[in-house]
Amino acid sequence: MTSLSTIQKHLIGALIMLGAMTIVPAFVTQRYFLGEIIVFMIWASVAVQWNVLMGHAGVFSLGQMLIFAVGAYSAAMSMTYLDISPWMALPLSAVVAAAAAFIIGLACLRLGPAYVALLTFAISYMVYVLIITDTACYTTVAGGCQRFFGGTTGFSRLEDLGFRQMLRDNWVVGNYFTVLVVFTISLVASILIIHGRLGLAFRALSDSPVYAAARGLNRTRSQLIAFVVTAFFTGLTGAVYAAHFRSAGPSLFDFSTLLFILAMVIVGGLRSTWGPVFGAAMMMILVEIAKGLGDVRNTIIGIVLVLFVVLLPKGIAGMTSRLFHRLQPKRIGVRTEDPATDRT
Amino acid sequence: MDAIIQILVSGLTLGAMYALGAVGLALTFGTMRMFNMAHGVFMTIGAYAAFSTVNYSGAPLIIALLMGILAGGLIGAIMHLLVVQFMLETEDFEINILVATVGVGILLQDFLLKVYGGYPFSQPVQIDGIFRIGGVAVAYQSVVILVLATVLISALAWALTRTKFGMAIRATAMNREAAMLMGVKTSRTYLQVLIIAGMLAGAAGILISSLSTLSPEMGQNPAVRAFVICVVAGLGSVTGAGIAAIALGLFEAAIQYYFGVRYGLPLMLALVVVVLIWRPSGLFGKQEVVRS
Repeated sequence: MTSLSTIQKHLIGALIMLGAMTIVPAFVTQRYFLGEIIVFMIWASVAVQWNVLMGHAGVFSLGQMLIFAVGAYSAAMSMTYLDISPWMALPLSAVVAAAAAFIIGLACLRLGPAYVALLTFAISYMVYVLIITDTACYTTVAGGCQRFFGGTTGFSRLEDLGFRQMLRDNWVVGNYFTVLVVFTISLVASILIIHGRLGLAFRALSDSPVYAAARGLNRTRSQLIAFVVTAFFTGLTGAVYAAHFRSAGPSLFDFSTLLFILAMVIVGGLRSTWGPVFGAAMMMILVEIAKGLGDVRNTIIGIVLVLFVVLLPKGIAGMTSRLFHRLQPKRIGVRTEDPATDRT
Repeated sequence: MDAIIQILVSGLTLGAMYALGAVGLALTFGTMRMFNMAHGVFMTIGAYAAFSTVNYSGAPLIIALLMGILAGGLIGAIMHLLVVQFMLETEDFEINILVATVGVGILLQDFLLKVYGGYPFSQPVQIDGIFRIGGVAVAYQSVVILVLATVLISALAWALTRTKFGMAIRATAMNREAAMLMGVKTSRTYLQVLIIAGMLAGAAGILISSLSTLSPEMGQNPAVRAFVICVVAGLGSVTGAGIAAIALGLFEAAIQYYFGVRYGLPLMLALVVVVLIWRPSGLFGKQEVVRS
């Protein structure tokens, strides 16, 4: 259509969206709303990475919250025990999460999709059980018993990012921009992966596994790379979560949190580029509205998951792109040159 | 000697319960390539149904047990009729059905939480008392669990190998198209499979809750074990799931005896990972594609 390549178009789209988000704090001054947008960016970042992994790489991991928690816990633990600044803890935690993913991936990724889902789920559950059943005190913090992995209470009152001193009452704006930077990195990375060489490899592998393998593509190796790379950004997001909330605890392993984000990915549309961002926004708004109806968060997540999978398995992104194709004048005999445009 | 008897007793009890949960899961995957993430909640529903039967009508235990099993079967049927049947034959079925059943699971669990509250109850459907083998105290409940699990699984094995509808199920599992050409109504087979899996899950739920307590999330832990057992046995292998369940139950009992309860599940999982690295399709996978 234009002279811009797909990847450039998506990057420009990302720039426009993120540019719009930088001026949001100028209009929204209530701390509550800024806090909600921060939460949105955190979950959207996890959802974006999950979509790369599940929608494009075909790794059906249910361990994404484990990776997220590894990031959050490494940040919390390095701040508590090693006494390093939160800014140092962010990249460190991302590396730890990537390393954890490498080990889990080595064990799981040679298996079929259903096996991967079950094993990653079982491993996260195991880690959760090990953390909450830990009772031995490692040190004492503020007169209380601090378990090495936080036990049932986790870590709280972590050192903050330093904006409370710098910006006083407006500290949340500082956090907002920190999270925005992480979200930007995560989103841009996902675009580069999906429309770059790795994404091309995955497209080839899903179109024709045998032919792709014959051309020298190694499925397990590509999936392992995707698993580790997405874990790096998921872990980074987890660390920024810990830094923003100044805490990390076993509630991160809650099944409903996992499903909340899974719903974002599914609602947005697997195999899309932008779907998870819209899905995250939609789910956040939906749950926010539903707060008035009482404790129905899980009910809504359940209904949304089932409805979308049964009725709209390609999500919002699939629906809009179908509409878009229908509105365009038909060009007979011309196939879309780049299969990626089908996956907007 | 006492230690060995102790491990055998608790290992077989654990294994029998795991087998009940895992066999239904394996049967579902074997016939429809569907992994039911709501399986754990099916267990919980069975347990609560039995609990309510005793609490509100004071019916004898055997009736309560039957009600729990029926409730499991009913919920399996409802899920098939409302969700699963619309998704069969669609693209990416294997992944989408996982997501859908996860959604059904959280809906049902939330429903139980709303109806019964999060407070843990004790399961009235159980038999008190102990007897001794050597120096080891064995609860009558353990014997009940072993007997019930054996009866149910033997009944399933009999149905799958001897009855017409069981053969239809196995035929569908082997080759769906061929089964359809031979006149098997596969949609009905799928419904039957989900009902059977639900009933086994309901029974497993009652037995599991009789050893611990009833709570809306009680199904999660046994379901994770059932998943692991199915994976290690090779997804879809029903006999393999039964054998793996008993073996892992014994292994876990030994670990709990020597290292403490906390390490039971993690070490079991570590063992499973080692097995999978050695044999990626599970112990009974591939060679035993014929699920019986």
